[in-house]
Amino acid sequence: MTFSLLHATDFADRLLYKIIPPLKAGMIVLADRYAYTAFARDATRGVDRQWVRELYSFAVKPDLTMYFRVPIDISLDRLMARRVKLKFYEAGMDLGWSSNPAESFRLFQGKVLNEYDRLVDEFGLEVIDAVGSITDQQRVVRKLISPYVNGTHTEITGGTV
Amino acid sequence: MAPSDPRVEGANGEIQAGRYYGRGIPYLPIEGHPGKLIAIEGTDGVGRTTQIQLLREWLEVRGYGVAETGWTRSPLMQPTIELAKSSNTLNKLTFVLLYATDFADRLEKEIIPALKAGFVVLSDRYIFSALARAGVRGIDRPWLRSLYGFAIAPHLVFYLKIDVETLIGRVLEARGMDFWESGMDLKTGDDIYDSFRTYQNKLLREYTSMADEFHFRNLDARRSVEHIQEELRRQVALFLEPAEKPAEAALAR
Repeated sequence: MTFSLLHATDFADRLLYKIIPPLKAGMIVLADRYAYTAFARDATRGVDRQWVRELYSFAVKPDLTMYFRVPIDISLDRLMARRVKLKFYEAGMDLGWSSNPAESFRLFQGKVLNEYDRLVDEFGLEVIDAVGSITDQQRVVRKLISPYVNGTHTEITGGTV
Repeated sequence: MAPSDPRVEGANGEIQAGRYYGRGIPYLPIEGHPGKLIAIEGTDGVGRTTQIQLLREWLEVRGYGVAETGWTRSPLMQPTIELAKSSNTLNKLTFVLLYATDFADRLEKEIIPALKAGFVVLSDRYIFSALARAGVRGIDRPWLRSLYGFAIAPHLVFYLKIDVETLIGRVLEARGMDFWESGMDLKTGDDIYDSFRTYQNKLLREYTSMADEFHFRNLDARRSVEHIQEELRRQVALFLEPAEKPAEAALAR
């Protein structure tokens, strides 16, 4: 619960300082992760699904949400190629499912991916096949975004949701 | 993202003492925990802490295990809340969420384990202070009730009721008016006295509006410490003693 609420606090802070002001100014805000991350991750940690959704009801509903989907093995391979050590919470080590970080990651993130799949229908996320090349993905992304772009400025916000 | 059912479950039916108000914490079932949760509520400077100290001693002498918990006292969140209060970055929404995080930490780490172990848990303030403060600051009430749906409904909620005039006298005698207790963040004016009066008046109205919903037992906080304590003990004894009788309690009669 504290994990969930701390992230919600951080999100609220960024929403009020980094997201709403540029939206008011007519800018496009690109959010690297959003409330959906919390929906998937917190439910996997055993927090009530409906409660998390109500908690985040102060959030602005994005005009467009893109979900980059990859199978768990590819995601793990990519991470291992870049970093030696998996992050404690990212691997769900706090849940005590496995003492092996890679195994814990596979179990935890596997469940997180299942939660994302629920969200796709519930919130109408646009699924992008993130297995393909960056160029291919970017082509899809640009096509999806084009209806929303008409010469506005862009603000990027990121971090942990 | 509108909440589908923003009401605390208890609000449309019966609140059940010792159960979660709303959706609760699925990974922490609490049914059957033998402990009792007693909350003492009331605004700043009303005498809660004094009453809790006296009640604790009395309960311990009678053979009860007593645990105490108080608002913003969680080891996880206290430094963060103090820091946030001293800077100018706090927004009313992040304020509410920080308090909720503090409460969640104490609930999981202090309150629920103590209830499981059969303690009487005395809570110096409970979620009602948070609901009142946030309500005064214009945060959506159904959202707040849904947020605190993970809280446990106390077995007893005592509300130390006071009027603003008496409160002002006490606070000035004791330690003076403080920035947050005066609601200076609401910027109703530069005068701390006027702000205190306006803010505390609103807070008291919020508490009053919750009295029925959450089964407050009102205690007249204008009475003497001894008188209030006596009434508190009488009601606590009535509640606890049919439920469990420690050897000392039985002998004492």
